Amino acid sequence: MSKGVLLYCFDTPEVAYHKLAERCVEQIKKHLKLEVTIVTNSETYDKFKPLGFVNYKIVENSTGNFRPYRGKNISWNNLERKNAYVDSPYDTTILMDCDYFVFTDNLCTYMDTDYDILMHDKVHDLTGMDMILKKNEATLPIVWATVTIFKKTEFTKKFFTLVAHIKEHWLHYKNLYRVAFRNYRNDYAFAIALHQLKGFKEHTDFIPTKMAMLAHEVDVLEMSEKGPTYKYKNTLGYVEDTDVHILDKEWVNG
Amino acid sequence: MDIGNFKKDSDLAHDLSQHKKNALEKLHSRQIVAYQGKIFRANPETINLVQTFKAHNKEFFMLDTNGNPAHITNPEEFLQLLMQRNQEALNTYHQLFEDLKQKRF
Repeated sequence: MSKGVLLYCFDTPEVAYHKLAERCVEQIKKHLKLEVTIVTNSETYDKFKPLGFVNYKIVENSTGNFRPYRGKNISWNNLERKNAYVDSPYDTTILMDCDYFVFTDNLCTYMDTDYDILMHDKVHDLTGMDMILKKNEATLPIVWATVTIFKKTEFTKKFFTLVAHIKEHWLHYKNLYRVAFRNYRNDYAFAIALHQLKGFKEHTDFIPTKMAMLAHEVDVLEMSEKGPTYKYKNTLGYVEDTDVHILDKEWVNG
Repeated sequence: MDIGNFKKDSDLAHDLSQHKKNALEKLHSRQIVAYQGKIFRANPETINLVQTFKAHNKEFFMLDTNGNPAHITNPEEFLQLLMQRNQEALNTYHQLFEDLKQKRF
């Protein structure tokens, strides 16, 4: 049974995602020791520094989605994740955002289970300010597509097919579930797909821990071998040996 | 007593409290183990339950963190795994806790 990590990475005019992916791959190789496949476009591929043994799949990605970021509306090329079932060459895959950085091998634990698909349903804001999740974002609870561990099964095939359908008809599903974001979000597309496939009942099989996260309002000052040092307003903080999802996209630029 | 320093003390206490909270989340993440295809938390509750069942039965069923049943056929192996992971996570937390103690006012 093959295991590996699948990343989607497309630079935008505002964010050099390839730099985030480069660091992300370093962390994966060091801590998870798994094979990595990056789905990217040719423009982004040309910017990657040599990363050793990494598989690349070059695609022409869709554009036109946006996200709010630090008071601006910026491009968000997150529309390809629906293809993860087909794009992954592995039997068991960790589908991961390239702004998620592992500093432990904790995720490997979840690859050795019977679960078809696992995601986080809770987050832990490392600043303690609870800035991540707003109230009443939708009529169904969010799941975090940031880290999705899936096996190639009939269920996950249906799941990703349904995610693709939801993405195509996002306006309808957004209104149906009263999602507060006009722009397409994989988190809610995944949550909706699970809700529908589970007979319109709440999905109950999740990663049982919270995903550590730093909101985009938080500046990452440094990323050492052990973890990030960050600043929010006048407060400095750091975490060590903790996997963390970092929404600040500028720290990689130095 | 200089009341102006209270703000500084309060800020420090806040930061230490958050640091402890983050360390506890890290502990909880490290306590997770996979066994027989299911997910378990290597906490005192699970360890005590396995120890109790093990004293009476050679094999038994128990629920994982998502409420799904697992058939435990080798309780000794499972208990060792749980205790090992529990102590590994607590040892790391203990070291961090000692560091934090030095920083208290």
